[in-house]
Amino acid sequence: MSWLSRLFRRGTADADLDDEIRFHLDQEVQLRVDRGEPRDHARHGARRDFGNVIVVMEATRQMWGWTPMALIDDLKHAYRRLRSRPAMMLTAASMLALGVGLTTGMFTVIDALMLRPAPFRDPDRLANLMMLTPNGGRTDVSPAVLEAWRANSAFAAAEGATTETSLIDTSTGPRVAASARVSPGMFAMLGTPPIRGRGFDPTDGRPGTDDRVLLSEDVWRSVFGADPNLVGQRVTIDGASMLVIGLMPAGFRFPEWNTVLWKPIDFSAPPPTLTGEPPRPQAYVRVASGVPIDDALRVATVAARRVDSSIPATAQATSQPLAGVALDPYYRRAIPLLGGGVGLVFLVLCANVGSLLLARLTARQQEFRMCSALGASRARLLREALLEHGLLGVGSVGLGVALAWGLVSLARAFLPTAFLVSTLHPIDLDPRALVVAVAAGLVATLAAGVLPAWMGTRPDRTSSLTSAARVGAESRGTRTLTRALLVAELALACTLLVGATLLVRSFINLASVDLGLHAEGVLTAWIALPAKGFPDRPSRVAITAALEDNIRHLPGVDNIALSTGLPPRGGTTYFSDHWRGDGPDARPLKMTVSGYGVGPDFFELYGIPLLAGRTFQAGDGPDDVIVGERLAARLWPGQNPVGRTFHFDNDRLGGHVVGLAREIRFPSLETSRDHPEFYQPFELGGGNVDMNIRCRDRCPDEAVVRRQVLATVPGANIARLGLLSDIYREELARPRGAAALGSTFALIAVLAAAGGLFSVLTYAVGRRRREFGIRTALGASPAQIRRLVFRDGAGVAALGVGVGILASAALARVISSVEYGVTGFDPVTWGLVLGVLAATTVLASWRPAHRAMRVDPVALLREE
Amino acid sequence: MLILRTLQWGPQHGHGIGLAIRAGTEAVLQIDHGSLYPALHRLEKQGWLAAEWKVTENKQRAKYYRLTTSGKRQLAAERSRWRQIVGAIGRIMDPA
Repeated sequence: MSWLSRLFRRGTADADLDDEIRFHLDQEVQLRVDRGEPRDHARHGARRDFGNVIVVMEATRQMWGWTPMALIDDLKHAYRRLRSRPAMMLTAASMLALGVGLTTGMFTVIDALMLRPAPFRDPDRLANLMMLTPNGGRTDVSPAVLEAWRANSAFAAAEGATTETSLIDTSTGPRVAASARVSPGMFAMLGTPPIRGRGFDPTDGRPGTDDRVLLSEDVWRSVFGADPNLVGQRVTIDGASMLVIGLMPAGFRFPEWNTVLWKPIDFSAPPPTLTGEPPRPQAYVRVASGVPIDDALRVATVAARRVDSSIPATAQATSQPLAGVALDPYYRRAIPLLGGGVGLVFLVLCANVGSLLLARLTARQQEFRMCSALGASRARLLREALLEHGLLGVGSVGLGVALAWGLVSLARAFLPTAFLVSTLHPIDLDPRALVVAVAAGLVATLAAGVLPAWMGTRPDRTSSLTSAARVGAESRGTRTLTRALLVAELALACTLLVGATLLVRSFINLASVDLGLHAEGVLTAWIALPAKGFPDRPSRVAITAALEDNIRHLPGVDNIALSTGLPPRGGTTYFSDHWRGDGPDARPLKMTVSGYGVGPDFFELYGIPLLAGRTFQAGDGPDDVIVGERLAARLWPGQNPVGRTFHFDNDRLGGHVVGLAREIRFPSLETSRDHPEFYQPFELGGGNVDMNIRCRDRCPDEAVVRRQVLATVPGANIARLGLLSDIYREELARPRGAAALGSTFALIAVLAAAGGLFSVLTYAVGRRRREFGIRTALGASPAQIRRLVFRDGAGVAALGVGVGILASAALARVISSVEYGVTGFDPVTWGLVLGVLAATTVLASWRPAHRAMRVDPVALLREE
Repeated sequence: MLILRTLQWGPQHGHGIGLAIRAGTEAVLQIDHGSLYPALHRLEKQGWLAAEWKVTENKQRAKYYRLTTSGKRQLAAERSRWRQIVGAIGRIMDPA
């Protein structure tokens, strides 16, 4: 054996000891031979006098104390022992990995959505500023307000942005891209320079200098094949030739998560290619250093009121963070809820693994007793158990990170855009997530590994080696701990199940709301006519008629209706405290109502039935209106509205009802979005045209429609074009995602709890075989034995569910405040949850109970 | 203490230490030769002995132990304690 191989095989310390003892024996033999003993005899004598070589070596090794070599040995040992029960260890490791993976994945999403500040320079001083009353209000501001804020010394910078979509002409066909118009100083304010070319000049975005564009590195790669000469070239965007002046880094997302194209605009002097109405930007400011945000807001309020008389007196400047979900109350509450759900699943899995490990160690009591008898200390046993569990923990963190990576990729690919739009960060596993994974693994190992190791290796002094196998019951400590873990598991599972059921019911409620119209197979578009070329109303009416006609003749188009306002949000929103019908006792009502201006085919196109009166005729004016059901019921409860009149806005505005139409519903988590409505005949006002296009079989490609619009009206701005059903679907995306996630969590928790119950009962039955045998021998019927086991399971389950119900009641109240049409005390939900848990308990107890029934006292006797 | 005492005259390997101890106590202390090694390794860990590997004339690796400074101090302390105990026991057994 060469020195090298010895090193690798056993480590130097062991080899040295080996050598040392061999040398001793050789010397002794030599001594005896010199003394005249025959060599054979000498060798035996030397061995005899030395004593047991192995015992000496072991005793010597113990003198070394705990060395790295010993750690490696222990690790090897632990690994071998883990491998000796592969099924059990795989179960434990995969449950821990599931816990770690889910936690890490969820953290990654929450981190990107909520926790991280906007990825810009000094993000704490950046804000999206708006003038809001306590009732809400417009989030955009007039260009004059933006100018006033820019001039104010409380702000280091104030810039504006509007979003739209654009069509990029490429060699392979047109591409739709999310785009934005930003004031030239935006990128400097955010602190993100272009990676190639230059940013906007201060004079860009005025008439003559508005044909510049910045592209995202993403677009440069995916659309232009990373053409190194793209900067400085002209590309066709929305039918106009634009000069590419620079590229922004791929990770730069602003103002929305998918914006990839930026055009300059001077909001105070917008280029005439835009519509007649001056665009109102979202205002973004950088608060000057040293100025407290609250002071800046007060100053901003005063400055804005001074230049814009249309701002309500109660409006205050309000700041919103640039990134994150602060804008959306649903996210603000749903995401912590889902995060908490992951936490609960994590705990369930830890508890489960904990009871699994405890059961396993208890089954090894015999082995531990043997080791103790041979002189192993408690510390040594504990160290081994902890090492095993630690190894398990390390393995599951590895697996968990892999799982989290998979989950996050999945989330990126399949999460509805509504989930992604709120983040300016890419959703990706990053060092922060890895730290969380390791922390979760550590917590899991501590929670699931340490207590069982402590309990499991506790020396059992009462029972000697021989009687160990015959102990008739579980030890009390183990019993208490396993039952407590189970109760916790079931309580958590119950809570998760209630939460998930409520989320699913909310989703079903939302999805099954009658929309009041046929939304499938309808494309809607929102188009702004350029002011240039269409200066007066007749020219706009003419081009609109041409547009309508051209679209109508596209292949695949069945019908088209122009309108002001698109379902389901409506066009003009009227808010007034003075809605009044013409009844003698009519009192003013406070309502928000959507007004639609609709073309002749609108009702037919959407299949909205007229319930009374007539539809619009030629010659109807803006005062002739058709009211929706809900508005009619509010203004004239229980009466026929046809022929009546109503007023609002201090009687300045009003209408004469010619018909009653079915209500259009807008099922949304934010019920405040669903307003009553009325209709007026469509009349082209400014440059905005909304189109409702009913498709024949398949809707024409979006790009084809865009082409047609731009071919008819060069320079038109298509602010939105897409399937109407997508809008409804988008509204459903968040509750669907929440319901899917919640159900997954609940499923995992229930399965884990069932598995835990099953394994604990099976184990308990195994330990109590002697007791069952004696009972049977004394005349207990199998049914009685079965009842015994069921009672054990049911007791634990009842306790768990009892605790769970208390926790669920609190959770249910929170959920019902965010979700649609569910109350915390929904009998269907509670019935379902209790039913599922009861069935789970029975199923999990079934096999252990039958095993207990089949204990044969005779066989048992023979075993002993 | 016996081991420390044996090493007072210079470095020695395990077998040699055993021989020396046996030479002095042959008939009185009948212990397994092997039980020397746990003791040697314990003393080494405590820092009273230092060890180095040498190659003997017949090309065998052998581990030589020698007394360290703290080992010498320990020996002196143990020896004086030993004298006290012996003296005390002696006075009890053979009261003058």
